[in-house]
Amino acid sequence: MKNNITILGVGNTIYSDDGVGIRVVERLEKEYDFPDNVLVVDGGILGINLLGIISNAGQLIVVDTVLNYGQPGDIHRLEHDDIPNRILAKNSLHQVDLIEALTLCHALDHVPQTTIIGIEPKDLTTLSEELTPEIEAKVDELIKKTLEELVRLGGTYTIK
Amino acid sequence: MGKKIIIDPITRIEGHLRIEVEIENGRVKDAWTSGQMFRGIEMMLKGRDPQDAHHFVQRSCGVCTYIHALSSVRAVEDACKIEIPENARIIRNLLHGAQYQHDHIVHFYHLHALDWVDIVSGLSADPVKTAKLSENTSGRPQTADYFRQVQAKLSTFVNSGQLGPFNNAYWGHSAYKLPPEANLMASAHYLEALKLQAKAARMHAIFGGKNPHPQSLVVGGVTCVGDLTPERIDEFAGIWKETKAFVDEVYIPDLLAVASFYKDWASIGGNNKTYLCYGEFPQQGINDDLLYPAGTLMGDLKPVPVNTLKVTEDVTRAWYERGDAKHPFEGETKPIKGEVTYNTDDQYTWMKAPRYDGKSAEVGPLARNLVAYTSGQKDVKTLVDHVLKTLGVGTEALFSTLGRTAARGIETVVVGNAMGGWIDTLKSNIASGDKKTYQPWTMPDKARGFGLNDVPRGALGHWIDIEGGKIKNYQYVVPSTWNFGPSDGKNQKGPVENSLIGTPIADPKQPLEILRTVHSYDPCIACAVHVIDPHTNEIYKVRVI
Repeated sequence: MKNNITILGVGNTIYSDDGVGIRVVERLEKEYDFPDNVLVVDGGILGINLLGIISNAGQLIVVDTVLNYGQPGDIHRLEHDDIPNRILAKNSLHQVDLIEALTLCHALDHVPQTTIIGIEPKDLTTLSEELTPEIEAKVDELIKKTLEELVRLGGTYTIK
Repeated sequence: MGKKIIIDPITRIEGHLRIEVEIENGRVKDAWTSGQMFRGIEMMLKGRDPQDAHHFVQRSCGVCTYIHALSSVRAVEDACKIEIPENARIIRNLLHGAQYQHDHIVHFYHLHALDWVDIVSGLSADPVKTAKLSENTSGRPQTADYFRQVQAKLSTFVNSGQLGPFNNAYWGHSAYKLPPEANLMASAHYLEALKLQAKAARMHAIFGGKNPHPQSLVVGGVTCVGDLTPERIDEFAGIWKETKAFVDEVYIPDLLAVASFYKDWASIGGNNKTYLCYGEFPQQGINDDLLYPAGTLMGDLKPVPVNTLKVTEDVTRAWYERGDAKHPFEGETKPIKGEVTYNTDDQYTWMKAPRYDGKSAEVGPLARNLVAYTSGQKDVKTLVDHVLKTLGVGTEALFSTLGRTAARGIETVVVGNAMGGWIDTLKSNIASGDKKTYQPWTMPDKARGFGLNDVPRGALGHWIDIEGGKIKNYQYVVPSTWNFGPSDGKNQKGPVENSLIGTPIADPKQPLEILRTVHSYDPCIACAVHVIDPHTNEIYKVRVI
């Protein structure tokens, strides 16, 4: 299990830049081949339903939007203590989002080594399948950063 | 004017459920539920290929991906008059049944349990006594050592101050009634259920195709024919069995044990006795022999068949352009222009107010089980009577927050049991060489149809109008809109609003009692936008005005 690396894109593809993590995963699947120990997953907005996937990963790379008080398009890499530990009081299962799922892994006695590759979004509220041009322009770089992270963790890939 | 409490999960994104209540003499006098986010996915579907609709609608909700996709293909199949093969119906039922098992377990343990279970109190429990309690109540008794270990683990979580479920509740609230040992036992099962749910989610991956978004649904059937091997079916059956054992041995005994301490909640949180159920799990043909029958109850216990022409949506109190209440085929999604103002005397939500025959109606487990019970569904009747007898309460107890929570457990058993039969039929079909899962069809130029469904959270309907082979209009009315929708043009409140009125509140600053009823409906609202914010840890803002 330790050698398993999961690349997990999360977000909502119908709310503009919120879908950027999924767009990255779609491109990875289309343009690259990965060995059996590398799993590429479209996590959508499944939140706590991703617990099974997360808890089965030895190492986890999450691609997502990150609000970090920067400029739209800024790319951040979060790991270890940078990743907030929190579970919100829940009013809806959907509020149990990715961070909550990660935190709940503590209760399953297996927390994968996690890195978040995140991009500062511009627009998360417009109902659209399209990313904003600013974020679209950064997708190549986001893919590059994700693949670099994969290699850093000992994973491999080939271009199709 | 009494005191007002607003429970408004303030996060960096808009789009959550907001509950406002007015309190007088320690009870809720009036209540308003508000969906704070506009969702106009219907607008996005116009002009698209009807076959693609399910790819979009499944993104509208993080937990309900499969069921929106299912309702959407059913709507197109209804419009195009397609009869899907038996194997396709069974596989769809199995996937939907798996969703019930998974969602209801997660709801009970990870969303709702902490409204009733005081985890911190469990830290002072005697592990030996807890082991005895589990021997007497649970189908899976555990040793004192086991409970000692759980206690140590919980204590680490609580003391670390990091793990939220142990941070953010109203520990020590006077409305918590369980003894420390029961709290410890339930907390242990909270952790067990986490492991189980991670496994149960895998059922979807087997016939659902690409995990975790089911890709195997298509208009005309399912495409997972490659997975119809005895090995794959056995793999599914293995997880189903393990899940079912957890439900029978842990979930139901816990439900009964917890409920026995909260019998006062058998008279709190009912609505005005109007219920709607579209029914689900066809066991014959396209939509026949439903495991949970369709029906409505309008103030009495005499179920009446559903007539979908009586479904309308009223927008008087929502942030849409004014107009008459409309049937979904004629429905429009026209948000008012400019800034919206939250005003409980006028417009106060993005949710429309669905009405059946002009009345609000509760949907979900309680509606389903009441319709089934009054229609004489045998499995449901046996289980409901068993629960009532065990708790020593009468049928009137069903119309309550406790009744709603118990109904969810009951149907987890009923659906779980039925899945066994579906697995057997699928196996014997495959063994006899029937591997048909898809019915070819052609797109008509012009057609109308609807897909009805009763999903874990309640009655779900998708309505589609096709013209020129494209989507002309698409509307869906989701369970949480039925339950959490606002008042209407006749000032008739929505089901949750009605349910909250009369609720006793011990401490307005810690309105645990409101959360109990709200959570009992399993709200499914805040789900569209997802971001990570490392800087905030803002949770509820409970404002007392």
